[in-house]
Amino acid sequence: MTSIVRTEGLVKRYDGTVAVAGIDLEIERGEIFGLVGPNGAGKTTTLRMLATLLRPDAGTAEIDGWSVTRNPDEARRVLGFMPDAFGVYDDMKVWEYLDFFARCYGLPQAGRRRMIGDLLDLVDLGDKRDAYVQNLSRGMQQRLCLAHALVHDPQVLLLDEPASGLDPRARVELRELLRELRSMGKTIVISSHILPELEELCTSVAIVDRGQVLAHGRVADIERRLRFGAVLRVRLLLDGVDLAAARDRFTADPDVASATILADGTIELGFRGDDAASARLLADSVAAGLPIVSFARAASDLEELFLQVTGQDLEPIEAA
Amino acid sequence: MGTMTDATETAIDETATEPIAAVTEPIPSPRRRRSPLGGIRRTAGGVGAVGVKELRGRMRGRRAFVILSLYLVLLAGFAWMVELMMERTYSTGIGGNAVFATAAIGQGIFAALLMLETLLVAFLAPMATAGSISLEREKQTLEMLAATPITSFAIVLGKLLSALVYVWLLIAASIPLTAVVFVFGGVAPDDVARGYLVLIVTALGFGSFGLFCSSLVKRTQAATAITIFGVLAVSMGTLFVIFFWQSIATTDIGRGSGPVRGSAPDPIVYLNPFLAQADIAPADVLCATDTSLRYYCRFRSLFLLDQSGVIFGGGTDVVGVKPGLILDGVIGGGPVNIAPDGGVIVEVPLLGGPQPADVVASGAVTDTIWQKTVIAWLVLSVVFLVLSVQLVSPTRRWHLRRGAGNRGGGS
Repeated sequence: MTSIVRTEGLVKRYDGTVAVAGIDLEIERGEIFGLVGPNGAGKTTTLRMLATLLRPDAGTAEIDGWSVTRNPDEARRVLGFMPDAFGVYDDMKVWEYLDFFARCYGLPQAGRRRMIGDLLDLVDLGDKRDAYVQNLSRGMQQRLCLAHALVHDPQVLLLDEPASGLDPRARVELRELLRELRSMGKTIVISSHILPELEELCTSVAIVDRGQVLAHGRVADIERRLRFGAVLRVRLLLDGVDLAAARDRFTADPDVASATILADGTIELGFRGDDAASARLLADSVAAGLPIVSFARAASDLEELFLQVTGQDLEPIEAA
Repeated sequence: MGTMTDATETAIDETATEPIAAVTEPIPSPRRRRSPLGGIRRTAGGVGAVGVKELRGRMRGRRAFVILSLYLVLLAGFAWMVELMMERTYSTGIGGNAVFATAAIGQGIFAALLMLETLLVAFLAPMATAGSISLEREKQTLEMLAATPITSFAIVLGKLLSALVYVWLLIAASIPLTAVVFVFGGVAPDDVARGYLVLIVTALGFGSFGLFCSSLVKRTQAATAITIFGVLAVSMGTLFVIFFWQSIATTDIGRGSGPVRGSAPDPIVYLNPFLAQADIAPADVLCATDTSLRYYCRFRSLFLLDQSGVIFGGGTDVVGVKPGLILDGVIGGGPVNIAPDGGVIVEVPLLGGPQPADVVASGAVTDTIWQKTVIAWLVLSVVFLVLSVQLVSPTRRWHLRRGAGNRGGGS
């Protein structure tokens, strides 16, 4: 069994509105899986159903083989959940906070103390052991909340918008932490509407909008399957070059879906080929005498991808 | 980040090997049926988790002990004032003999202390629980709790018990103070035991009610308001209903010629812990005399009266008293005497011969309500607990048609 999280036709309705309209997911063990979509797309609802907090109206969801509806207790023991609006208790010390959740999982006294120390070191709060939770910074609280989801050493971590409200430095730290967790063999499901924060991190993503998965698979796979796979930006030496002619030349290439001249003279290409194809295009163009200054992929791939998928009314695309 | 990686590098190794072994151990091997004993142990563990967490917060620092001290000072001061008040009555008035007077003082202090403690418990217990669930909702920690294997029952019971432990501590701390009444006399140890039983059950019942309100509504403020309203309704509202009912039903005392027949429904009487305490506290000596606590005696007579029916009397005849009941407190009549054989004799001043309708010796029949109060609140506590568990549980929750806003953003 390689897929550790699996949903089939997951549906959730709230008073007539459909929040999740049949979501199928397969998440492999050891992945960092991104659930991407605009606000209200159904990400949180999906995660809450996976975390056994909401009962699906239809469909099934399994975590490590345990059905979230039939065996919620077993599912809870293999998953750790961090809600988007996580709470902290007032009047509680950091170690007490973790100790409380460890008790909720029924962990024996003997191992708790040591485990709490290790977890606090992991999330870099080792020196805050006796601090009061409400006095921690937002980033520290976020890491503490992540630690709370780890007390029972779960296989799967469900993180709902973990980076929201964090400053850039805290985001970087969180990202490092998630990588470390992945290296410890955990599967991480992470939702976000901010794409750049997932882009470098995720091994796979599902793009969700209006309760449906629009695209699902490895980032590169989705990219290749889409009509406008990637965006290439080509800047030419502007002196005496006929931009329109250059554009037409690019358009003639079979891998180029579109070519637009931007205001600063850059030509933007919708490109569906892979890296080899773009290398060939560059070589051909140079050979044809185009004075190319720079030739690069547009930076935030996933964001482009996302806009393309959600912006146009595409049929849901399944990447293999 | 540089410093962090250094620190965490070693931590990863440790977490990856040792704690995992320690942590995975207690998780029951999957696909095995859970024994009922395991379920009980699991629930107890959950109750312990919530209880320890709550008590850590509640008992932290000096606050809890300052409150306890203030409470005892207040109670002691109150008892002392009652004692002074009654002593003054007896030293200036035409009291009976000394034994009679100290018995009356003992009964007076006991009744006053029980009433005050009931008042405190009736507010402290539900106030301690009214925020317990709604605060978790507001702080959004209930979700995190619900995602752990802890049962809703354990959450609810842990919250209730941790709140009650403190209230029960206040109650227990007052026992030595209440024992002062034994110096004066007039009160038997079993009276004290019954009084405290009612206090403990009142705390449980009112506490469960607060907990139920807290799980029913989203906001703590609303939960607190509903709880206070409920407490007032039970403690004062019921008295008013009984009083109203009596005035309407018995214009011609006992005859029921008013628009309403009979007495107020019994359950209304049972729910009031103050009536239960009035039912327990012996006041036969106290109320047979004109003391400074005469309003308390009127209160007793007024509300406990209907429990046995009105007693008509002419001369020394007593009509309508069941054998074996202890009658005390006479309004508009003479003192009560208890015959050696346990019977009751009420001396009623005659007004022109035996005219039962005109002359009324109304007495309070005691020791008949408190048992029902205890049972009623025990039953209600269970009901409130079950309802709270249902409301707290995220997936088994009854759908109360409360609009989509209930689930937050639902994105």
